[in-house]
Amino acid sequence: MKSMLGMVGIALKMLMGDPVKYFGLVFGIGFSTLLMSQQMSIFVGLLTWGANPVLDVRQAQVWVMDPRVKQADQGEPMSDQELYRVRSVEGVAWAVPYFRTAATLRTMQGNIVAITLIGVDNQSMVGLPDDNLASSVSAIRGRNAAILDKNTAHLIWDAGHDPIGEVVEINDNRIAIRGVATSLTNFTGFPTIYMKYTDAISVTPPQRNKLSFVLVGGEPGTDPEVLAKRISEVTGLKALTREQFARDGTTFIIENTGIPISFGAAIGLGVLVAIIISALTLAMFIAENQKNFGALKAIGVTNQQILVMVLSQALLVGFIGYGLGIGGTAAFLHFGQADPSLRGFKSLGEIVGGVGVLVAVIVVGSAVMSVQKVLRMDPAIVFRG
Amino acid sequence: MAQNQPNFVATIDRITKEFPSGSDVIKVLHGVSLSIDYGKLTMLIGPSGCGKTTVLSILTGTLSATSGLVSVLGERLDKLTNNDLVRFRRRNIGFIFQQYNLIQTLSASENAAIALIADGVPWEDATAKSSRLLDQLGLGPHKNKMPRQLSGGQQQRVAIARALANDPALVVCDEPTAALDAHSGQAVMELLDTASHDPTRAVLVVTHDDRIFSFADRIIKMEDGRVIDDGLHLSTLREAH
Repeated sequence: MKSMLGMVGIALKMLMGDPVKYFGLVFGIGFSTLLMSQQMSIFVGLLTWGANPVLDVRQAQVWVMDPRVKQADQGEPMSDQELYRVRSVEGVAWAVPYFRTAATLRTMQGNIVAITLIGVDNQSMVGLPDDNLASSVSAIRGRNAAILDKNTAHLIWDAGHDPIGEVVEINDNRIAIRGVATSLTNFTGFPTIYMKYTDAISVTPPQRNKLSFVLVGGEPGTDPEVLAKRISEVTGLKALTREQFARDGTTFIIENTGIPISFGAAIGLGVLVAIIISALTLAMFIAENQKNFGALKAIGVTNQQILVMVLSQALLVGFIGYGLGIGGTAAFLHFGQADPSLRGFKSLGEIVGGVGVLVAVIVVGSAVMSVQKVLRMDPAIVFRG
Repeated sequence: MAQNQPNFVATIDRITKEFPSGSDVIKVLHGVSLSIDYGKLTMLIGPSGCGKTTVLSILTGTLSATSGLVSVLGERLDKLTNNDLVRFRRRNIGFIFQQYNLIQTLSASENAAIALIADGVPWEDATAKSSRLLDQLGLGPHKNKMPRQLSGGQQQRVAIARALANDPALVVCDEPTAALDAHSGQAVMELLDTASHDPTRAVLVVTHDDRIFSFADRIIKMEDGRVIDDGLHLSTLREAH
């Protein structure tokens, strides 16, 4: 053990004494770590956007919908009768209507903006974002009053404009903005406007059915999964737990957009950069020190000691490079929170850990492959000219 | 010399060495036998390609012989496992190379301490011992310098300190003066000469530098993979040159 520690000390001095390769390795691994972790974080953030319309409704345990619906922005209208059928299922404590549609909003200043219009239950207000709930509820009690997601207000008016008190038109219906709330960012990126259910359906074009979803809360002690299954069996509708429906939102993005391919390519590029830089630089470093390693082997340094030396060099640059890369990603995401397009993105522990494992595998693999020649090398090479 | 100590540090007996070359085999040693005495500086000389370095490599266990026996300090090298052979070399054989082979990013004292560190001696103890050796070799003021800050002669003296750090019984030198000027070469050989007169140690120098023949206690001459003369006298060599 003592001899290994001593040889690690020698190895690290050998590495740091060659600043070009040392910094080349550190910054190469740092850059690829940054690329991998940042792109993974953005990718996961985008996927989360697909789940956010569901996650935003914290009170509902089960979402009930037409069987053809695949995600929250694709509601297929159901008859209001379905609400009563759901309420009749055993284990349902409450069930409320939820309306979600795309609409066009016109401001008094003449701006025309595509929005997501949400109608929440008139009495319980289930479906409103949790923050500032009490004032939100009182804000939309009045007729044709609405609450606006403050994070997307800049898409309707100039940044910094106070929307409260503004009157807007949706399908020629005048609506007063009475409050603001904070919604999770959704995949469409449209501003979100909340109204009472009856107001929301009245400002949209006439249609026989308008009920997008039924939101359900179970009786105490009821397993949401069991409840969802029971609702499906009884009503013939599709019923999913909040988690299942949120997951469907991310699955929809994975299966129906080019996002996984473009981000996969960027992440793959990061892996490739890490492999190329660490493998080539370590191989060059070892090749340049071949005579020294030969001399060490002749003097009496074992192959195990040489392997530990090279692994310690690789792990050191891997560790520092990884730290720089993850630090860069953390800084990017921290300062990026100010930008609405990056709001809510974060570097998950799984990403930080996963990239760490990936970097460790790459540098250790590169080191093991690079050192093979030295391990097989005849120490007598040192006597040849 | 201790009472029961054998006369020879190392012996090789009828060794041959063949190297594959495409579909052919090149035989570079043809049954070489020799022994290295304690307390002497033995020189192995001969023209380039005669097999001197191959003998040196086989004698130190860095290369295996095709046939024949190699014994160092009574230990048959062919009977040792790879790891045991490496450990044996580390503890019993000191190496001095033609190109010094110092690690450029380590100081003189750290370079000289490598064999000790590889053997598990703590860093501070190892460098303290190597620093004392460097003092003895006249490099005290330079022990914290990097190899590139030292002259060729000084670098070779660091290599000598590295070779002597583990108090080895056998010190082998491959063309130790080939890269040095006459003055530095003489200084290096004086140090090796002093080291060789320790009765518990032997020094084997492979060289074709006739300027240093005068330091030899014994000269073995090789040609075409064979020992053609063992125990040459300096006067004979001077006549030959």
